[in-house]
Amino acid sequence: MSYLGIVVTSVFASNALLTYGLGPVPGRGRDRPGSFASAVALTCVNALASFFLWAVRALVLSPLGLGSLDILFFALLAVPLLKFLSRAASVPGDGLLSRVGAQADDLIVGSLVFGVALISSRGGYTLPEALTASSAAGLGYWLVSTLLESIRERLELSDVPDPFKGAPAMLISTGLMALAFLGIDAALVKGLTG
Amino acid sequence: MSEGKDGFVPNPVLAGLVGICPLIAVSRSLAEATVYGLGAALCSIVLGAVAPPLRSVIADRLQAPAMLALSSALALVYGFLTRIYSPTIAAGLWIYSPLLAVSGLSLSTLRRSSLPGRIGPDGQSRLGAVAFEAVMFLFSAAFIGAAREIVGLGTLTLPVPGPDLPRLYVADFAPLRILVSTSGGFILLGFVIAAYRTLARVSGRKLP
Repeated sequence: MSYLGIVVTSVFASNALLTYGLGPVPGRGRDRPGSFASAVALTCVNALASFFLWAVRALVLSPLGLGSLDILFFALLAVPLLKFLSRAASVPGDGLLSRVGAQADDLIVGSLVFGVALISSRGGYTLPEALTASSAAGLGYWLVSTLLESIRERLELSDVPDPFKGAPAMLISTGLMALAFLGIDAALVKGLTG
Repeated sequence: MSEGKDGFVPNPVLAGLVGICPLIAVSRSLAEATVYGLGAALCSIVLGAVAPPLRSVIADRLQAPAMLALSSALALVYGFLTRIYSPTIAAGLWIYSPLLAVSGLSLSTLRRSSLPGRIGPDGQSRLGAVAFEAVMFLFSAAFIGAAREIVGLGTLTLPVPGPDLPRLYVADFAPLRILVSTSGGFILLGFVIAAYRTLARVSGRKLP
C-alpha cells in the first residue's frame, strides 16, 4: 500500500478508537483534545513508541524467536525512555513544547500508545511504513476526539433524557461516528491510492 | 468504586467506565469477552496482591516502571495460558491480550496500590475492593459479550478448551449483525449504561 493509502487507512478505515477501541473514553471533558499541542503529542508519542517497538521486535526479539515478548520489552525499555523524553520536553512555561511534553507524559501509559505500537510493529510494515501508520493513527484519534468534544458540547445544551446524559450519549455518538467511518473501506482506499 | 452507605457498590464498567474501549472491541462473542474479562480480573487481583509489598522494597523512582513491567509480565503469562487453553480464542483476542497490561482495571489497581495502608478510607480492605471490582468487570464483560452475540448473530459461543468452540444457535438468522462490529458495541453499551442508571435510580441507589 502507498504511504497515502496507509495514512487514509489509519485515520479513517482503521481508526484507533472507532475500529480498535484504543484510547480513553472520549468526550468526558477532562482534556482538551482539540488543541494543536494534543495533535503534536499524539503524533509524536505514537511514532516514537512504534519506532522503539518495531526496532526491538525486528532487530532483537524476532531473530531470537522471542517476538511474543515484545510487550514486556516495550514496558521495560521504551516506556521509561518516552517518559524521560516527555518530561525533558515539559520545560516550565506555557510554550508549545512544554504543553506537548505535558500531554505526552499523560498519554504514554495507556492502551492507545501500546495498542498502536503493537499493531504497527506486528502488521508487517517496514520501519517508514510503521512510522507513517502510527503517526496517522495518532492524528486519527485526535480527529475523532476533537469531533466528539464538539458533539459533547452540543449535547450539553440539548434536551437529552436523564439516563442518557453524559457517557451513554457520548458512547452512542461514538458508535454512530464509527458507523459513518465504516463507509471508508480499507480495500477501497487501497484501490484509490495504490 | 467506593461503597455507598447502603452497601451498594456501583459496577466499575457501567458506572465508572473502567476499561470499556478495549472491552467493546474484544467483546464480539461470549467466549472472547469472558476470556478477556477473566484475564483483566486475574491480572488486577494479582497486581493488587503483589504490588503493595513490592512497592516497599523498590526504590521510589523505579516503582512506576517496575509495576508496569510486572503488569506486562502478567498479561504475557495470561496470553500464553490462553494460547494453551484455546488457540481460537487467543487468536480472537489478538493484541488485546498483551494490552491487559494497561487495561483500565490494571491501571486502576496500580493507582490504588500506591496509596498507603491496606485499608481504604471507607474501612474496606484495598485488596477486597480490587477483587470485587475485578469480579464485577468479569461479569460485565461476559454479559456484554453474550448480549452482543445473541442479539447480533443469534448464537452463543462457549469458552471451552480446545481449537473448536461449540456454538449454540439461539436464532437461525442474525437479528442485528451491526452489534458485532465496534460501532454496534459502542451503541449497545450506551443503551446498557442508560438502562443501568435507570434501574439504579428506580431502586433508590446513588451512582457517582
